Amino acid sequence: MKRIAVFGYSIMSLEVIKQLNEEQYSYVFIVKNKAEALLVAEQGFDTRIIDFTNDEAIKSVGIGENIDILFCFYPKDSDNVFLTISARALDNELTIIAIVDDPESAEKLLAAGANKIIDPYEICGRKTYDMLAKPDITDVLDHTVFGRHDLHIAQIEIPKNSSLEQTKTGALLLAGRYNLILIGVVDKVSGDTLHFVMDEKEHTLSSGDVLVVLGPASDIKAFKEEVEAVTEPSVSSH
Amino acid sequence: MLTQLVFALVSFQQHSSTYKKTKRFFYHLLEDSESRLKSRFDKAMIISVLFSVFLLIDEVDTPASNFEKMFEHLLIALFILEYLLRAWLYNDIHHIILKHHAKSLYLNRPMQWGKVAKIIITKKIEYMLTPLAIIDLLAILPSFRSLTLFRALLIFRLFKLFRYFKSLRLFAEIIETKRFELYTLAVFLGFLIFIGTVGIYLFEHAANGQQVRNLFDAVYWSIVTVTSVGYGDIAPQTTGGRLVAIGLILTGFGVLSFLISIIVSAVNDKMNDLRENSIYAELKGYKSFVIICGFGRVGQHIAKQLEKHKQHFIIIDNNPVNAMNARRLGYLVMHDDASKNDVLINAGIKQKASAVLCTTGDDVVNVYITLTSRYLNPSIRIISRANHPQNVNKLYQAGADNVIQPFEIAALVVAQYIGKPVAFEAILGVIREEKQFIMETLAVCAGSMIDGITIAELDFEHRKLMLIGVVSANPTHQKHKNSYALKNQQFYFNPPPFFILQPDDLLVVLGRDIGIAYFREQLKNSRPKEPKR
Repeated sequence: MKRIAVFGYSIMSLEVIKQLNEEQYSYVFIVKNKAEALLVAEQGFDTRIIDFTNDEAIKSVGIGENIDILFCFYPKDSDNVFLTISARALDNELTIIAIVDDPESAEKLLAAGANKIIDPYEICGRKTYDMLAKPDITDVLDHTVFGRHDLHIAQIEIPKNSSLEQTKTGALLLAGRYNLILIGVVDKVSGDTLHFVMDEKEHTLSSGDVLVVLGPASDIKAFKEEVEAVTEPSVSSH
Repeated sequence: MLTQLVFALVSFQQHSSTYKKTKRFFYHLLEDSESRLKSRFDKAMIISVLFSVFLLIDEVDTPASNFEKMFEHLLIALFILEYLLRAWLYNDIHHIILKHHAKSLYLNRPMQWGKVAKIIITKKIEYMLTPLAIIDLLAILPSFRSLTLFRALLIFRLFKLFRYFKSLRLFAEIIETKRFELYTLAVFLGFLIFIGTVGIYLFEHAANGQQVRNLFDAVYWSIVTVTSVGYGDIAPQTTGGRLVAIGLILTGFGVLSFLISIIVSAVNDKMNDLRENSIYAELKGYKSFVIICGFGRVGQHIAKQLEKHKQHFIIIDNNPVNAMNARRLGYLVMHDDASKNDVLINAGIKQKASAVLCTTGDDVVNVYITLTSRYLNPSIRIISRANHPQNVNKLYQAGADNVIQPFEIAALVVAQYIGKPVAFEAILGVIREEKQFIMETLAVCAGSMIDGITIAELDFEHRKLMLIGVVSANPTHQKHKNSYALKNQQFYFNPPPFFILQPDDLLVVLGRDIGIAYFREQLKNSRPKEPKR
């Protein structure tokens, strides 16, 4: 189970938690005052009131120790930048996701060490455009992959000595065997680029490669078990 | 006998579709400001009028060539025809006759033809006395070369341009709105000129008879002085004359300033109309466009996306700062309240607009705009922004097709990103067509090459395409597993090889843009051609 520290109480922070699978993540909420602490605690979350400008206080939450993911959801960009810099200095491996208010602050947050910048207005604008330009596709994806239906997109890493090592992607036959669609493969050798399978039918899998698949949760789980059965899982997720 | 003939004619006008069509055609050609036909006709007339004026000027020094004469005759014929057509379009004579006929029948008395004829003539004279009709008539007169006085009326041909230039017409309207002020000023100016004329004549005619020979010279001097032109050909010599000149110059200066300020303020008042006229003209040229209501943060991003994908749009925002920002970016903007019916109608919601996006930061406003838009156009696509989750249903009730919540969508992005960044970025890239790989829907048309065949027979692998699923409302597919409910349809994920495609099914495919385009073309060509109507 991964532990997430959420800095800042807002609609956004509650929405993110609502979207995440509660079995896979645990949370610690960092709020500004007692009133906010009460509101968050009512929803059953671990709550702290700390001064984020103090490194010792941040450490006390678990950053640099047991926190895997940090959400910087303060309304002010300067607060998020300061928090990102402080947290990155404490933990180099930490996944930092920060919200941005002014688009110009995005680069500053990235420079401060954030992994992903979220501009809600930009995302909303793009989404509206997608709805306009491709209503059918967005409708399908919204109802399935991004919706409440049991259809998910997942990435599965091939561990060392996996039985799938040296297997050609064409021979996986996921559609028939698992009711999964293999979208593409990230070849460890050539970087982070996703290669779509219909273009490169005969890619030979090696350890470290990441398979991007689409399908129901049970089939993803079954396939992951096959991949991980041979050896200890390294990084895999859904 | 004559009465019967008139009624036969009236009956023909009332019932003949050819007559009605002809009249409608000429209405679109000459009077309908929304018509493209009129716009083309106006342009052709502007060129013809300008050309004819150049020819007439040229004729002042050189004798007219045969071509010039022929062109002039043709143009005059066209002017006369246009004048008569406009008079014909002005009202329907047969309606007047029918109305009086019905009245006579009701009152059981004979038809009063004299009265009817009087009304018809009065109506036509009413048209002939409208300013534009007078200009039309005066524009025809310079062609009668035997009457040299009429040549001066050549200028009216230029006035005729008022008919064809929208902006010029608007300028005339501006002047019209300040009629009272201009009338007051004209009376005052007339009074000033009168005093100046009398004064200069009394003082100068006796002492300076060579310059101020008669009353006309005095009027001429007064006008030249009061308008601060001052040619200097007539200069007062006497002290009294000079005092009149001083008085006239000082008051004239004030009058002139007053006149300019009236016109400037009127133009300023109408500036918004002028700007909007140009916007409407531009919108009319588009095949389709999107209406964005609200140019806040979300609206700005949508505009950016639409601009990137070369799609046309109009922004409506009543916040002056937002409107100015949009204008600065070169977008089409209406600085107005998008919840007003006439604003949305002017923006083209009933015509070429394909979608309305309600993106203001206020849910109350978004609900109101959504409701107004749905009322004005029941079939238009409406996407609305909800800033608070509790308002989502209200927006759907108001008529929105889709509701977007900025924070919910952003939260979804965060949730999807965690744990599977590569997968999520890949799918986002595909949706946004950032790479060559795209996801598209392809419709199965009845009778096309894929109608009634199985997925296995389609051989997507060979086509280098990937079938993600099929969207369908066809009940024959219900036996298949892996179906997910969409609005009124089902999405069949990863359909088995024996899945038989039915007409109106939608294939959701992933592939290279060129691969999908090629397949789409093949599907299109395999469709049975519709019989010509």
